Amino acid sequence: MKRVIEAYIGEYASGKSEVAINRALQLKALGHEVTLVDLDTVEPFYTLRPLKKRLEDEQLRVIAWDPKEIMGFGETGVLMKPEMRWALQHQGDIILDIGYGVQGAKILDTLEGGVGNNEIRLYCVINIGRPMTSSVDDITEYVKNIGGVDGLINNSHLGEHTDIEFIQAGSDIIKEASSILNIPVIATTADEKFRPQLGTKDKNQFEVRYLQRWMPSALW
Amino acid sequence: MAEKPIQGEKRVFMTGNEVIAWATVAAQADVMYGYPITPQNEIMHYWTRLAPKYGKTFLQTEDELSAGFTTIGGVLAGRKCFTATAGPGNTLMQEPFSMAEMMRIPIVAIIQQRGGPSTATVIYSQQEVTLTTFGGNGEGHRIVYSPSNHQELFDYTIKSFNTAWKYRFPTFLLGDGYQAKMREPLVMYDPEERGIELIKPEVSLGNGMEKGHYNHLRNTFNTEEELYEIIMSMQEEYERIAPEIIEYQEYNCDDDLDVLIIAHGVVSRAAQEAVSKLRDEGYKVGHFRPITLRPFPEQELRATAQRAKKLLFVESAYGQMAKLVKEALFGLQLEAETLYRPGVGITSDEVIEKVKAISQQ
Repeated sequence: MKRVIEAYIGEYASGKSEVAINRALQLKALGHEVTLVDLDTVEPFYTLRPLKKRLEDEQLRVIAWDPKEIMGFGETGVLMKPEMRWALQHQGDIILDIGYGVQGAKILDTLEGGVGNNEIRLYCVINIGRPMTSSVDDITEYVKNIGGVDGLINNSHLGEHTDIEFIQAGSDIIKEASSILNIPVIATTADEKFRPQLGTKDKNQFEVRYLQRWMPSALW
Repeated sequence: MAEKPIQGEKRVFMTGNEVIAWATVAAQADVMYGYPITPQNEIMHYWTRLAPKYGKTFLQTEDELSAGFTTIGGVLAGRKCFTATAGPGNTLMQEPFSMAEMMRIPIVAIIQQRGGPSTATVIYSQQEVTLTTFGGNGEGHRIVYSPSNHQELFDYTIKSFNTAWKYRFPTFLLGDGYQAKMREPLVMYDPEERGIELIKPEVSLGNGMEKGHYNHLRNTFNTEEELYEIIMSMQEEYERIAPEIIEYQEYNCDDDLDVLIIAHGVVSRAAQEAVSKLRDEGYKVGHFRPITLRPFPEQELRATAQRAKKLLFVESAYGQMAKLVKEALFGLQLEAETLYRPGVGITSDEVIEKVKAISQQ
């Protein structure tokens, strides 16, 4: 069976890390060997670093700095850990959590076996609640700008103010952007609490991936 | 060029720094001058992404001294200008801020507090209260708002511009590293559509002034008496306008209180949650939150504090807010306890534990 290698990219605070963590756990639950890699060197204030231990307890292989191994956050915490460079050499599925924007995407070129690797799927996480990616035009421009995107993830939400209508509105807008870009929508994501109402597919028949919230406890 | 950044009411999910960048655009600011520093960088990042779309500009200067002075220059030239900084950047900017204070130049500065002294950590603190309210070699003739959530970051950024241009005292939005980086939902809006009139800037010096009209703006005075008169007239003016500017909030302060928690900014959120949980357990506890740290809601706090058996000062600094509080309460016979955690976040559980410990005494 072909292994899964997915890199999650997107606008600042679009939900990349939350989507990546949940995807890694979803694959783990299917019995796969899974490596989760924190490649966010753009703004490491709010990454999965503080969650490393807890995620390892879930039997994931987590390649990330342990906060104890490094001095400082912010501008001082942007070094790549040597084993990150070799992340693609691991067997099994690999989920890469990438820093935001075009600069974030460039880190893929530094991975051994990253350049020209057609196994890697680059998925752009989009929340229409983010004002820079709230309309069809904004999204198409944003995704074109990053370049090389293989799929879109509808992660539209408003934190605790989220409702089903907002998630479905995100699905509509991202679907339209998808047809202009000719890039497929891979999934819609939603907090676990929406499962009873939303079911397995959203209104546009995109698979719904349900999220357990991990990131709120990652703020330093 | 896009016409307006926000049409109607827009529900969004954002980090605090982005909220501020959008709010400055909504407030019709023209220019941001700045120098990068964590944790305010995304204000600059997002301003520079938004500004070109709306015919606005940005200048990255060589340091914070320059960023402060160029902000003043832009204001004198008749533009709505602002800057944003933190920690050691705030220290450096005290010289331009003092000049703006003396010359009554309306500038807006966003401060995202980080741990100190000096460079220290880039993360979070409430240790820039003294610096922001009373920094510089003057009398603290400034206006300082301390917001506590993303909706307020948006509302008070817009308000800061109007306050600065209306009263012509330097106006500060005092956030912190947590508020800068946290993600929260809020509603963004165009202030004019909500009936908020945005005060237009005026040219104070140079081209664009009315013909035959001159301004003599001074920052240097030749005699002690001359300076004294200016400072005293500013003090009088500041005291006169203070009641119009002062803002505060009270949570469950209606009846007599065993403990009154005093906290500001993001720490107020922990205090609010603590009050609501403690009330459920039958504790007679309330929370007073100054929104303006300068001018300070002295009379309002005095009235409420006298109904409390004990006060509890809670802040992520070693008594910087408490200095303002004690000044406000001077002369009253009151007992107070403290929960000072300089540079460290404070949770509602920690506040609850402290209140319970006080109540058992």
